[in-house]
Amino acid sequence: MNAIETTKLTKYYGKSRGIVDVDMTVMEGEIFGFIGPNGAGKSTTIRTLLGLIYPTSGSATIFGKDVIKRGPEIRQEVGYLPSEVFYYDDMRAIDLLRYSASFYNRSTKAIEKRIRYLADLLDLDLKKKIDDLSYGNKKKVGIIQGLAHEPKLIILDEPTGGLDPLIQQQFFNLLKEENDKGATILFSSHILGEVQKLCDRVAIIKEGTIIEVEQIKTLLENSTKRFKLETVSAPDAAAFDIGGVSDLAVAGHAVSFLYRGHINDVTQMLAKLDLADLLVEEPDLEEIFMHYYQKGDGR
Amino acid sequence: MNVYLREMKAYRKSTIIWAASLSAMIVIFMSLYTAFSTDVAAVKSVLGQFPEILRTALNISLTSFFTLNGFYGYLLSFAILAAAIQAMNIGTGVISKEAAGKTADFLLSKPITRSRVVSAKLAAALSVVLITDVVFWVVAYISALSVAKEPFDAGTFFLMSFTLFLVQLIFMALGALFAVSLPKIKSVVSVSLPTVFTFYIIGMIGDVLANDQVRYISPFKFYDPAYIIAHGSLDGTYLAVEAVFVVAAIALSYVIYVKKDVRASA
Repeated sequence: MNAIETTKLTKYYGKSRGIVDVDMTVMEGEIFGFIGPNGAGKSTTIRTLLGLIYPTSGSATIFGKDVIKRGPEIRQEVGYLPSEVFYYDDMRAIDLLRYSASFYNRSTKAIEKRIRYLADLLDLDLKKKIDDLSYGNKKKVGIIQGLAHEPKLIILDEPTGGLDPLIQQQFFNLLKEENDKGATILFSSHILGEVQKLCDRVAIIKEGTIIEVEQIKTLLENSTKRFKLETVSAPDAAAFDIGGVSDLAVAGHAVSFLYRGHINDVTQMLAKLDLADLLVEEPDLEEIFMHYYQKGDGR
Repeated sequence: MNVYLREMKAYRKSTIIWAASLSAMIVIFMSLYTAFSTDVAAVKSVLGQFPEILRTALNISLTSFFTLNGFYGYLLSFAILAAAIQAMNIGTGVISKEAAGKTADFLLSKPITRSRVVSAKLAAALSVVLITDVVFWVVAYISALSVAKEPFDAGTFFLMSFTLFLVQLIFMALGALFAVSLPKIKSVVSVSLPTVFTFYIIGMIGDVLANDQVRYISPFKFYDPAYIIAHGSLDGTYLAVEAVFVVAAIALSYVIYVKKDVRASA
């Protein structure tokens, strides 16, 4: 059975587009990346799955059950962490987590034990009032409330904002642990690197429409990098004429280009240059869409 | 039950403050009865000099003002005004606070139906109002006993007191309807105060104009103390109007809340 299945899922907010004809299948047990720029429709898709908003047309199921008709039943098995976390400021972290736990038909003892385990792991003081917590610590509360009931499906909507790199790594480890235990994960992000680190497959959404669903392996093989370099003497543009180079710009000693292909080929080419500086970075998503997934209508 | 308990806890402090304030108000007001009833003739002559239009607007009846129930009925109108604000605050706030505090995502992504959320929240609001009222009724009755010089009809006293709850119920239902209908309510008081005072002023205007139709618009005029004292009962017509309004407002609140999109909190 698929963990998530959407069929022509469409949402309009009045006249403005949310998502259009989204067909997406997330298999049980996989970590599925959902990537796209801000406003592409990631959150709209997720909010529809959670029953927070209603689709204009189309349908969605989680574990074979319709998300509208059987929402509460489905949400027993779902853990959700939104991009921005807001909780009741007057509560202590532990009270909020107990309140959250009270919605699930799990043993109170087991869930309490798990809250303590996760809080220790993430180094969160449970006695503090929500209002007194930093944003990063509120996010930790979010992670715990999303994972404490050991959900079969974990839905994460740009979850890493506000987490320092160390906690981020622990969070990823935790997600891998949950995945090893059988949990399915839908991981939405606009940061390609995050998705590459964690996911098995990825769907790319742009302007409300899924434009590509790929194995992450394929994505990595086809990975495009942006090279920015400075040379000691002005280079000849012909030096960069190797397969996989695009978007080449040579301005005096400064050179910039996108490269898609085997990394050894480009390093061999660079070794022949007298470099003063070199920066290799991941292109932003817009660049990927423009140069990598350019298909037919330019999407 | 968890949502209900959470709301009861969240409103604990404000319930204590409202119950204490309304009780203090009625104790202070009732203590004035001793002064008013000591020299009825003098007070009557002073009040008699007020223009009739002012007496009508202030709801002062020279025939009943000097009996304990008459005096209480007059004072009760101010307590009802304050209690209506409390009811509208809670009716509006208990639902709108999830959107205002951006906690709707947290609550509604839990395994609970939206209608159960509304039920739990309205049950908590009703409980808060009832707790406040019971404290008020007990304190008011003890105050009345301590200042009464002659026996008074306790049945009428409690029937009048009960109208406090009836008016609150209307404003609580109206508050719930506002909470689900208005986009995002940042300040509950900015909704409740103008609404309650508008209805109060409409009632006063209705009195001055001696227009009975206006009574149907202002809940403050549904249950006239003079009518209760004279008949020993509530006016059934207004009870029916209230029942229809409250049921319709609550039903509509459920429908809107269940169907509405919860927009992203960010």
